[in-house]
Amino acid sequence: MKRSFLLFFFLIIVLSVNAQRYMTKNGYIGFFSHTPMEDIQGDNNQVAGILDSSTGEIVFQALIRSFHFDRALLEEHFNENYLESDKFPKSSFKGKITNLSTVDFSKNGTYVVTVDGDLTIHDVTNKISTKGTVEIVTGGINASSKFDIVPEDYKISIPGVVRDKISKTMEVTVTMKYAPIANK
Amino acid sequence: MKPYVKIALFVVLFFAVSAILAALILYNKKHPDTAKSKPDFIITATALQKEFEDNEAKASARYINKILEVTGTILTVTPTDSTHLNISLKTGSDISSVICAFPAIGDPSKFKTGEEVTLRGECSGFLMDVLLKNCAMIMNRK
Repeated sequence: MKRSFLLFFFLIIVLSVNAQRYMTKNGYIGFFSHTPMEDIQGDNNQVAGILDSSTGEIVFQALIRSFHFDRALLEEHFNENYLESDKFPKSSFKGKITNLSTVDFSKNGTYVVTVDGDLTIHDVTNKISTKGTVEIVTGGINASSKFDIVPEDYKISIPGVVRDKISKTMEVTVTMKYAPIANK
Repeated sequence: MKPYVKIALFVVLFFAVSAILAALILYNKKHPDTAKSKPDFIITATALQKEFEDNEAKASARYINKILEVTGTILTVTPTDSTHLNISLKTGSDISSVICAFPAIGDPSKFKTGEEVTLRGECSGFLMDVLLKNCAMIMNRK
């Protein structure tokens, strides 16, 4: 009896550790476009994200209007002309860590992971695959990745007049500091 | 050179220079200083979150891109990098708050969980929380 109780207790601990979900509402996504004429940087520090360490599932959601640019006019054009944020206010990513077995979530360390998933911007969804790092730290997980996207793949049309100022591919940076979701 | 040619040249030059100046000013325009801007709405964090939760479309049409002056109790203070800071305000919901992004702020330890504050920011909409950007602290009551 005593033993089965202990086993039960042990199982609960193992399950709750394994079925751990991590979350942030202060994640970062930035993009950078470089041309000889102009560098453009957009930053968003209000990205919501969930990482499930038992399945490797990763979900992000961001508001387009939360992207911040140094110049107000750029921010206005980004929202009104390119991303049409009144029509398509949100952008999201839903994917999975494909080499989850290589990550040991129970001890601190840094791992290189591959993430496959669907990225939705401007109401257009494309498959992406990228490498990233997952760092297990005390009290959470830091995850980051860098990949390139092509605006035209998301039906974002850039007028010829400014085409030279905006690079053909944008470098996207993702940095998340997840904290465990308290089990209730 | 005939006098009317001179006048015509002068007018053309004048317009060209003003157009370039206007374009440069517009191009380099900074974001409005929310600390000094007149707010479009004055509201509590609880009421703002409830409006978005009850009817997101209606609240979005009303608040997005507007300057809001929001009063609430600090729930979390999260430095997002060396210069940026997010402060979330308590609402009536357990899972949804009002998250305010501050562009550059001196010392994050100035702000403590549980303090009542009034701040201004531009509303960007609703994700899981109501999001404000370009925020500035107006009042910090202990």
